[in-house]
Amino acid sequence: MTPETAHVRVSHVTKRFGGVTAVDDVSFEVPKGAFATLLGPSGCGKTTTLRMIAGFYDPDQGDIEIAGKRVNELPVHRRGTAMVFQDYALFPHMTVRDNVAYGLRVAHVSRSERERRVAETLAFVGLKGLEGRWPNQLSGGQQQRVAVARALVIEPQVLLLDEPLSNLDAKLREQLRVEMRILQRRLGMTFVYVTHDQEEALSLSDWIAVMNAGRVEQAGAPWEIYYHPKTAFLADFVGAVNLVPAKVTDLADGTVTVSFGRHHAKVRRPEAPLRAGQEVQLCVRPESFTIAPPDVAAAGLSLPGATVRRAFLGDTMRYWVKVDDRAWIVDQPDPGGSATLDGAVSLSLRADRVHVIAE
Amino acid sequence: MRSLRREPALLLALLAVTALVLLFIVYPQLQVVLTPGPGGYVQFLQEGTWLVPLRNSIQLTILSTTTAVLLGFIYAYAMVYSNMRWKPFFRLIGILPLLSPPFVVAAAYTLLFGARGVISYGVFGQSPNIYGLNGVWGVQTIAFFPFAYQLIADALSRSDPRMEQAAHNLGAGSWRVFRTVTLPLSRPGLGAAILTTAIYILEDFGNPQLIGGVFYVLPTQAYSLISSFGEYTSAAALSTILLLLALGLYLAKVRLDGGRSFVTISGRASSMPRPPVSAAVSRACFVACFLLAGVILLVYGSLVVSALTLRFPNNLQFTTEHFQYVLSGTNGDALRNTLVFSSVAAAVSAVFALFAGWLVQRGHWKGRQALDLLLILPAAIPGIFFGLGYLLAFNQRWLDFVDRGWLIIIAFVFWNIPVGYQAAAAGLRQIDRSIDEAATSLGASSLRGFRDVILPMLGGSLRVGFVTTFVRAVTTLSLVIFLFTPPTTVATIRIYQLVGDLNWGAATAYTVADIGMAIIALSVFAVLARGRIALGGARA
Repeated sequence: MTPETAHVRVSHVTKRFGGVTAVDDVSFEVPKGAFATLLGPSGCGKTTTLRMIAGFYDPDQGDIEIAGKRVNELPVHRRGTAMVFQDYALFPHMTVRDNVAYGLRVAHVSRSERERRVAETLAFVGLKGLEGRWPNQLSGGQQQRVAVARALVIEPQVLLLDEPLSNLDAKLREQLRVEMRILQRRLGMTFVYVTHDQEEALSLSDWIAVMNAGRVEQAGAPWEIYYHPKTAFLADFVGAVNLVPAKVTDLADGTVTVSFGRHHAKVRRPEAPLRAGQEVQLCVRPESFTIAPPDVAAAGLSLPGATVRRAFLGDTMRYWVKVDDRAWIVDQPDPGGSATLDGAVSLSLRADRVHVIAE
Repeated sequence: MRSLRREPALLLALLAVTALVLLFIVYPQLQVVLTPGPGGYVQFLQEGTWLVPLRNSIQLTILSTTTAVLLGFIYAYAMVYSNMRWKPFFRLIGILPLLSPPFVVAAAYTLLFGARGVISYGVFGQSPNIYGLNGVWGVQTIAFFPFAYQLIADALSRSDPRMEQAAHNLGAGSWRVFRTVTLPLSRPGLGAAILTTAIYILEDFGNPQLIGGVFYVLPTQAYSLISSFGEYTSAAALSTILLLLALGLYLAKVRLDGGRSFVTISGRASSMPRPPVSAAVSRACFVACFLLAGVILLVYGSLVVSALTLRFPNNLQFTTEHFQYVLSGTNGDALRNTLVFSSVAAAVSAVFALFAGWLVQRGHWKGRQALDLLLILPAAIPGIFFGLGYLLAFNQRWLDFVDRGWLIIIAFVFWNIPVGYQAAAAGLRQIDRSIDEAATSLGASSLRGFRDVILPMLGGSLRVGFVTTFVRAVTTLSLVIFLFTPPTTVATIRIYQLVGDLNWGAATAYTVADIGMAIIALSVFAVLARGRIALGGARA
């Protein structure tokens, strides 16, 4: 990424609260027009980072740049960012219209222009007709849309969103997730989004930074994070995963041979340096397997095992299958289409679905 | 700190608030404490003249607090727990004394029980000497039990009715519930209420001054040292002793309630039902409240009758002569002064306290704890001490060009800051920080966000600060006794002077006019605020 295309740049930023280091030497860049997500468990420093971009906190070290300009010394209201808060923070003494118009009024936008833009934005987020309502007369989803409209209407350079969907029920969350993505695409605005929900992060983002204990563990495209996690923490945090200890037995160009239990597999070689005899972990997503009765021949790596337990999840059937001495999590999609398996089974998976974590 | 550097306007506002607090709260008080000097203190302590008023103050405070709290507790228990009739009436009667200067009780007491009193002489043919400890004790008991009632009722009504219902459900009778659940849970609140009542009584100036006779307590002794002998050194040292006592009580109160309890009296009853008490208890409560309300009505009733008759109690012919006198000439001016000073001070104090509260509670700068402490400090400062501080600090020749009315207004403003400040702090705790942040994130500066968002949301706190400051300004005598000049005389001073002149008709008419004016003014505010006014516990 060249400096010209980086719209938000966070360089070596550290923030301490008392003796606790909340954010520890964090650096990343978000390109213009990207939907970027900071993902991590609570207390990982993601919200602190977002609030430093907004200007609510001052970094103890490091720089924050927006559109190529260092903003460390700018107060919140001069940064060209707007924030959508987890609890929406709507002004309870203002109607929907006045809430949305607030930023324009502060910016001395003329009355006619203001009215036009407020109406446009409210229509854009699907709130037409609710202009005169008070915040306490709105449902959670409507409040969330007002919060987004209020931030969008001032046309910020960067929109910051702090877990904006976490107070909504699951169904609505999924619907608004889709709307949010469409909205961002249509506006081409840079979004920095904070969430602890990996599914939300994966489905929304162009780019994800997974944070843990104040540091960025890995950053990249959603599928990279999902299928090629660099650490066991990442693999475990982003979706269900099988983490199996293994040993490197042979190294070749682009591939690596590993042994685990009584099995061997030749799989894709990760970027991290490896040496023969090294202890590693294999990372396999549950949905990467094909599960079948034991007599069915399978392509790729084949592992015989026996089911221990199963859970019906609706869209999938999850099995715990004992291979050697370990239980592997295996998902079978569309379980209605096949009979439930019991006892001895055969697992198969493609070698390129096995990811090696050298930790 | 950096957020302040990035917003010079905010920094400027903070510096201005700090400067005003230092100038009008810290500096005058330091003047009092420092006036005697080390040598002065040593000499003063050796002379030993402070021993008697100190002993008297402590004795009187203990006696009056005990009886006032006892009566207040009965009234509060009856109001919160019993199912007696006439509750709205008793509630109204309980509020009335808060709107009048406490020392009018002493005036009424003299009228009723004095040497030529209606009851003592008229009914029993006795001419008792009411001056001295017993008289002050009785008067303070009647004057301050309504305050104790308000504070105790608030502490009791904070106990969770659901817990009481649970205990009741487990088989405990109403008294047992009260003893084993309510009392233990509300102990800190009750303790704070008792200590607050004690502070009121400790610093009461008017009652001991009017009927104490030779029974001097710290505030009256300090006053007479200055007014009779011009003895500023001893008066300052004596006031400092008073301040230390009050501070001690206040710190004990803060330890109990964490400085967080905040009483508002809005005249509404709790809506959650509590376990029912027996009919006999309710009847007993009714009798007790009836008697206590009777005493209050007797006090104010005798004032009204005296104000409307030629020469109470000997000549009961109706007259408006006293009221004409009260409303004419310099008397009318004093009444107008009270209205103007109190209204202006209440408005300024409420807004200033709210703004200071926002700066302190929402700021991220160093030293905010210190400013927080200074803004609460006046709650512990006796009026006589505060007034003396202003006298020593600002009674300067080079300040003669300033109208002295301003000095009184400023004294009202800063003496009453704690109420508005605590109300603002309580209000701000209800407003999530993200609301402030949302405003700044949408492009408003911090100050703009305060004006557009926080100020409108803190209307309730603003009204509490305004009404309480107004009432306290209308009713205080001790604060202004050192500060008034002939053109800036206020109502309480005139009443005090008229009682001293034994001009009972005029004194009582003046009292009635003063209380009436306060009630009318509050009604106007209530209409302006669409009925939403509340009186804060005068000591937040």
